[in-house]
Amino acid sequence: MREIVVIGGGASGLAVALETKKRGRDVLLIEREEDLGGILNQCIHNGFGLEVFEEEYTGPEYANKYIEEFLKLDIDYHLNTTVLKIEKTNNYFEITMSSKARGIEKIKAKAVVISTGSYERSRGSIIMPGERPYGVITAGSAQRYLNIDGYMVGKRVFILGSGDIGLIMARRMFLEGAKVLGVAEIMPYSNGLTRNIVQCLDDFDIPLYLSHTVTDVKSGESNRLESIVIQKVDENFNPIENTAKVFEVDTLLLSIGLIPDIALLDNLEVVVDSLTKSAKINQAYETSVRGLFICGNSLQVHDLVDNVTLESIRAGKCVSDYLEKKLEKNNESIDIIPGKNVGYVTPQVLDFSWSPKELIISFRGKKKMEKTKIKVFQNNELVFEKFKQFIVPAEMETIKLDYSKLNKFDELGISLEEL
Amino acid sequence: MFDYIVIGAGIVGSTIARELSRYQVKVKVLDKENDVANVQTLANSAIIHSGHNPDPDSLKAKLCVWGNKLYEKMEEELSIPLLKSGAYVVAHNKTEEEKLAELYETAKINKVPEFYYLDSQEAKKQEPNISKNVTKVLSLPTTKVTYPWEVAFACMENAIMNGVSLQKNALVTKIIPNNEYFEIEVNGKQIFKTKNIINAAGVACDDIAGMVEKEVPYKVHGRKGEYFVLDKRVKGFVNHVLYPLPSDKGKGVLITPQFHGNILIGPTSEYVDDKFNVSTSFEGLDYVKTHAKELAENIPFNDIIRSFAGIRSSIESGDFYIEESKEFKGFYHVAGIDSPGLTSAPAIALYLLKEVIKIDKKQKINKDFNPIIRKQREFHSLSKEKQIELLKEDARYGNIICKCEKITEKEVIDAINGELGSDTIKGIKKRIRVGAGLCQGGYCEEKVMRLISREKNISPLDVKYDDKASKLFVGETKVNKL
Repeated sequence: MREIVVIGGGASGLAVALETKKRGRDVLLIEREEDLGGILNQCIHNGFGLEVFEEEYTGPEYANKYIEEFLKLDIDYHLNTTVLKIEKTNNYFEITMSSKARGIEKIKAKAVVISTGSYERSRGSIIMPGERPYGVITAGSAQRYLNIDGYMVGKRVFILGSGDIGLIMARRMFLEGAKVLGVAEIMPYSNGLTRNIVQCLDDFDIPLYLSHTVTDVKSGESNRLESIVIQKVDENFNPIENTAKVFEVDTLLLSIGLIPDIALLDNLEVVVDSLTKSAKINQAYETSVRGLFICGNSLQVHDLVDNVTLESIRAGKCVSDYLEKKLEKNNESIDIIPGKNVGYVTPQVLDFSWSPKELIISFRGKKKMEKTKIKVFQNNELVFEKFKQFIVPAEMETIKLDYSKLNKFDELGISLEEL
Repeated sequence: MFDYIVIGAGIVGSTIARELSRYQVKVKVLDKENDVANVQTLANSAIIHSGHNPDPDSLKAKLCVWGNKLYEKMEEELSIPLLKSGAYVVAHNKTEEEKLAELYETAKINKVPEFYYLDSQEAKKQEPNISKNVTKVLSLPTTKVTYPWEVAFACMENAIMNGVSLQKNALVTKIIPNNEYFEIEVNGKQIFKTKNIINAAGVACDDIAGMVEKEVPYKVHGRKGEYFVLDKRVKGFVNHVLYPLPSDKGKGVLITPQFHGNILIGPTSEYVDDKFNVSTSFEGLDYVKTHAKELAENIPFNDIIRSFAGIRSSIESGDFYIEESKEFKGFYHVAGIDSPGLTSAPAIALYLLKEVIKIDKKQKINKDFNPIIRKQREFHSLSKEKQIELLKEDARYGNIICKCEKITEKEVIDAINGELGSDTIKGIKKRIRVGAGLCQGGYCEEKVMRLISREKNISPLDVKYDDKASKLFVGETKVNKL
């Protein structure tokens, strides 16, 4: 029986494993790829680590900081191993995993941490009319092909969606000699970080078409993309007539969002939040299944890896506390719900069986706002208020709350007041 | 000199090839595509209909009911996937109930083996998500769902096992009828001689016939159908095929549970000018959503993972056209095979051979014919004991390549190197559903690319998604070139 099994060896899983090991826990990390580091390995651009190290690193450099420490601490891990199933019995979890080296095996654990990251939304998850030629691929897949395998996916490129991976790939493809003809974003604002708009598009004269989407995809005789049509959309996202622009491209990269990968939770009775598309958690990163924790991009999609690390360290602390039995189950809990102008919130539950410390709440604004007040209410009473300039959906916000000001009965509502 | 050349390796060409291999004849199958089952067979509802719908006395009625029965035999012999779901045709009011009564009569005349009414209460008990507005249901227990291209693969593989040869990437460019035989020109250069030609070219049937006949007795009018696919996590949302009442546009928008757990919603039915164009449209997909809501409540549209379109090769008469050419003896038309073509395919093959060609009078039986293919089921659907046994034989069963569908390295390798193997991303996806799940290949396409490159001993630069023009890469990156 292991104390903790961490699933996923990216930024999140590494941080959880390190934190729990440092606290003297027994931990095993399982990674399906042949290397630790997760998606950071293909993020060869810089901009990582400003928050944690106050220095700029590339993705692999950032990952290596943690991998080196991970190896030094001699933490147990399996590479090239895919977890197939997690089952819960009364007191422990049973994890089924598969690998070429050891076949199919089962292990038991007292606590499990899901840090499986996210997957990219593909063409199928949005309605994009037209033919189905090759050349319409997700930006992250293209990034892997370029940066890990060393192959170019196209010569003339258009990008749908202004998510950060799309913006990063616009610059990357440009530097590799491709013609990048533009980026279309269906929303009236960009979905990526401002610094990426400046450094990846503006600096290379790549046009950004806001309130535009792809309305046709064409191939010629062959099964390779030949052209796309983009159109301006109205406030209901319906294409406006006579706004069509045709681009002759061999590649359309999709950067239309990430979704937490929680396929492993399918057979567990985990309560899911339709807003985050992941498990609901309490303030200890614990799901509705006792002893099952989740953090990183499999909990909520982050825009900065530094926040993944910080969040996962907090989660690691909580898992250790859980094993040290520092919590008493008393069934007292309240819901935390997103109010006006708030897209989602984590944690969704405040569970009073966990010892009171500070409560960290993450959320995203629903729209772009210049000047706002973040307000937290309980039973119509204002329990927290903070002025905040520039709220954008692309950037996650975090606030800290004092437990002592809260009652144990009324739900907590978080809203953004536009000033 | 061939005895028979079959043009087209879809479900119809494949079942015909298999039936021909029961005789002592030399047979070749030609297909312009780079794979078996690449056009109509690849994009349809996958339903094995009961035969409740075609006009009595039509060839469709006879072959649909017959074909439905033959699928059970194919399941036994060829290990094909068959979901014995049954189907409900739903009525929403008195007028529709009258139409339902007409279908009931049709089913009776067509000799559908089993069918009965359910009241709305019983229907809701069986299908909790069925539309609240349903008043009466015609239940069709013999309706089934298969995995169409797998059926074509199994038939073609069995035909090849029994002596048939298959040539892919073989576009027929000319046919010259002589007195005793035909000459078929392929890709503008290669010539084959054959005594008989079976034209099973699907949407291109009239083009092929036009190379021989002065007046082709039919014209293919492409009828497009657009669909949504829901992820398999919605498995159980409905367990029966749900049909609305048929209209002049065909069977309407259906909700169809699939063998592997996905749910298919569609199709539309629109005549199109370009019978080879399978693009989807906002209007079409909107139509599907709107009409599906008449069948069921709370459809999980959030779980859509893909949309696609297929073309049905309809002809004016509305019935199948399976006849020998009046002028050119030995040239056989198998045309107008739209719905229920998949269901009818095995019966079409038998009808063609026995009743049109009258093959038993002409050819000797192939005594060595072996009708059996034992296909191993997906590794992760096998029993624990079997998995352990297989893992001992080959450790590559332990390496998961597609995590959504849980497909292993060994299975990918078999799909590449098998009798009907493929070296394209799309071909591998068709064979073992790698990339057919939630992430749509976002995770596993790269792994499959590397396996194809390794197994076929080719550079990743030469790995293709599908046809010649769809190479994954246009070159190496600057770093790689250093």
